[in-house]
Amino acid sequence: MSDSTATDEAGLTAVIAEYLTEKLEVDGVVSIEDLTRIAVGWSHETWLFDAVWTDAAGTQRRGMCLRRDPGNALLRETSDLAQQFRVLRCLEATQVPAPKVFWYEPDSVSLGGPAIIMEKVAGECPSPWRRAGREFYAAAADRGVLPLSFTDSLAAIHNVDWAAAGLDFLGVPAGGDDFAQSEIRKWRELIEASGHSGHPILNDLIGWLETNAPTTDRLTLVHGAFRTGNVLIHEDRVSAVLDWELQVIGDPMYDVAYMLTALNRQDTELLSNVVPRQLFVERYESATGITIDEDRCRYYQLLYAMRSAAFWMSAAGLYADGSNTDLRLARTEWSVTVALEQAAQELGY
Amino acid sequence: MTPGELLHRLSGSLRSQIGPAVGDEYTRTQAFMASVILERLSKQVELQSAHGEAERADMIALCAQLDPVLALAPDQVRADLESAVSTCRLDDLGPLIDSLYEPEVEPELRDAALGLLRPVLRRDIDRRMAIAT
Repeated sequence: MSDSTATDEAGLTAVIAEYLTEKLEVDGVVSIEDLTRIAVGWSHETWLFDAVWTDAAGTQRRGMCLRRDPGNALLRETSDLAQQFRVLRCLEATQVPAPKVFWYEPDSVSLGGPAIIMEKVAGECPSPWRRAGREFYAAAADRGVLPLSFTDSLAAIHNVDWAAAGLDFLGVPAGGDDFAQSEIRKWRELIEASGHSGHPILNDLIGWLETNAPTTDRLTLVHGAFRTGNVLIHEDRVSAVLDWELQVIGDPMYDVAYMLTALNRQDTELLSNVVPRQLFVERYESATGITIDEDRCRYYQLLYAMRSAAFWMSAAGLYADGSNTDLRLARTEWSVTVALEQAAQELGY
Repeated sequence: MTPGELLHRLSGSLRSQIGPAVGDEYTRTQAFMASVILERLSKQVELQSAHGEAERADMIALCAQLDPVLALAPDQVRADLESAVSTCRLDDLGPLIDSLYEPEVEPELRDAALGLLRPVLRRDIDRRMAIAT
């Protein structure tokens, strides 16, 4: 066994090579080339590489992606790789563009932490929070193909027959307002786990959300963070929807609200920096048969304000309790303030 | 030099001298983050006294306004109001707001109380935003 706690590239290369040599059952050994860490974010680590081996047909090369849990990541309470693996496997038989998954390792022995190995999908994922990314999406919007593909990808998620696909393991809300109430409970638990002292605006927000929770008349698969920056784009089309960390069975307006919110665009009226609003509404409604409910979307935008506050409290808590030394997490102490200010605005004050 | 000015100067050194000299990308980013954090702390230290006085004045006025409005409120609401009055800290308004959203509180009473609370919360978050941005 190679160093199973490998965190550097050389160590990880050896660990992956040993793992794939066993899994692929090849004669000889699998070599790992071009190992690159991407998305140095706060959640799971993501590494891209090519696995190369030789068999009777000659030299084989397959692009792969490793997602690994470092053990101190943001959202570790609400997202685990076992669920992501299962969701991606369920989506393989659907129209949703998503990576094909190969293996899931639950323990730290083989790959230095719980991990998934999946296919490397062609495409790029420009950050919408950077000028270069926004220029990329503006140019793609002008060409006209990506806005359609982006909208179609969300429609494909909402059109999944989630029961037939086996996704009911995610938990199916009861009728009435159970979906909204269960989301509030989830984010309240994250807030409580963060150890953050909070602010009375948060009490006001949560009280308002609980009192005004809408009923849900149709349940779909909900991605939970569908925006540019969370999809891969290849030749102006969505080649894969990524970041399957917040998915639930719930109200499709939860995703639509995320599309409509001004928080997911910058210096543009284009939804998520890429889709004209009218085009989105018409194409989405046509593709899904779902009528967009503006009132429910406004409600869910308030729920997103609570979720944002919960995220940042959790992030700040990771630094405060010493489990993560990344100073970007310490900075999120003030992001909590920004999220609460947004909540106050949404509540009308 | 005040503590706030010192923190501001340290922030500037990290941003303009130390950070750019760091070769490793992650460590350089950490230096810039430290600069941002020190700048926030600098503002916080400089504004702490003024913000504290403003919060106390807001709380004294708010509690005086809430007292008659909540005179006939359920016991838990009254208890949470008295607790907030005793500390005079805005952060202690959370339990009172939670109580106001309990089903036994009449919506009209809740709205009247929130109508007094929310302008105070607005001023507080504005003060905090002066530090956060």
